Amino acid sequence: MQEGTDPPARRRGRWGVVIVEPLAVVRAGLAALIGLQDDLEPLAQAGGGEEALAAIAKVRRTRVVVLIGLGLEGPEDAPWLIREVRERYPALAVLAMGADADPTAISRALFVGADGFVDKSAEPAEFLDALRRAGSRETVLAGTGLEVVGMIADGLERRRDIELMLTRREREVLAIAAEGLTAREIAVRLNVRERTVTTHLSRIYAKLGVGGRLAAVRLAARSGLVSVSTPE
Amino acid sequence: MILTRVVIVATHPVLERMIRSAAVAAGLDPVESAVIEDLRSMIVEPTIVVVDADAPDGSSLHPLHLLRESGHDVRSIVLCDRVDGRRALEALRLGASAIVRKQNDLRELEEVLVQVAGGERVLPPELERTLVDELGRLARQAREWSSVGSAITRREREILVLLAEGFTTQQVGRRLGISPRTVETHVAKLYRKLAVSTRLQALARAASLGIIRLDA
Repeated sequence: MQEGTDPPARRRGRWGVVIVEPLAVVRAGLAALIGLQDDLEPLAQAGGGEEALAAIAKVRRTRVVVLIGLGLEGPEDAPWLIREVRERYPALAVLAMGADADPTAISRALFVGADGFVDKSAEPAEFLDALRRAGSRETVLAGTGLEVVGMIADGLERRRDIELMLTRREREVLAIAAEGLTAREIAVRLNVRERTVTTHLSRIYAKLGVGGRLAAVRLAARSGLVSVSTPE
Repeated sequence: MILTRVVIVATHPVLERMIRSAAVAAGLDPVESAVIEDLRSMIVEPTIVVVDADAPDGSSLHPLHLLRESGHDVRSIVLCDRVDGRRALEALRLGASAIVRKQNDLRELEEVLVQVAGGERVLPPELERTLVDELGRLARQAREWSSVGSAITRREREILVLLAEGFTTQQVGRRLGISPRTVETHVAKLYRKLAVSTRLQALARAASLGIIRLDA
């Protein structure tokens, strides 16, 4: 840090970073790394989706990058949060972050609205550069080889096609089915009759051209519509 | 040891000779295939196919489509004058192992052949930015299309495609066996769904969403 520079003036030019990451040590490490940069500033940290939204709501500036760890799980998982931030705060930049993320996870993050993806295996300088570029709303792909680009593109198109094929309710049913629930359990969750769920399921199988639940879930997982597991 | 076969799909004799000598220098076994139709019969694994994407007949990446359909495990190198993001991404999705710009990198073709034979992927470093930008464009398009496109019916999409081909309302009606009046009703609904007010805007919007293609 340079001495003698007018602090408010410098702060104006800075990018604020909201760090959303389930692992506390990783969060702290990122905050420390970001805090060392003249042009970046850690604004808030959150370990979960709702906590993150609360933190973002308090942010009173526009030059902000929300860094979201794909390890975020549960109902308010990373894709959920990315979509929420993208819809509620379209001016904020969103950078997804993962560890050895597979191309499907990356295309899923991009589909729901992330400006880019950075892998935690990136060198610190590359990681910080990714933050800056995401801030200026460039599409960023850092810490992964270019060989995944084609697979990410395939994933985006698969996702688009499956979204076009299925209704919102059918997507919902499929996502719950992917959790391994029976038709009866899905019915309870959605507060509908079991018969309705089985009708939805058979219509989903027909639209996707698959014979049963396993194939449907596998297809949905490959297209990033549902996550079967989030390896982190 | 089996020599990796190099199949050359180039229509320009000078280019073909250059590829051939690079392949020989790289210790590979070059054979040429001037006609794309013969391509499949020339594949014996391991093979690297070198494709001239600027072929004057406009076939462009067609050989890569053929190769993918053939199901052979074949590596490919795409040569082109200049690469735009869309075409580069398409080449990668079709399984291209390398993209070589004729202006800049042809001298390095021998090395690229060796690398690709060794299972590596070789891309011009400047292409990275373009490719990632293209990916971002695709992501936005996929997102928008899935939100707008799911509201558009199959009939409306048919009409969009015909309008994009330049047919008038009357012609569209005749083709689909419906009255011009019905076509107009569909078009009015399309305008609302696409949030536009003219036919040109509707086509531009549909093209930007990827629902129709204007360039094909």
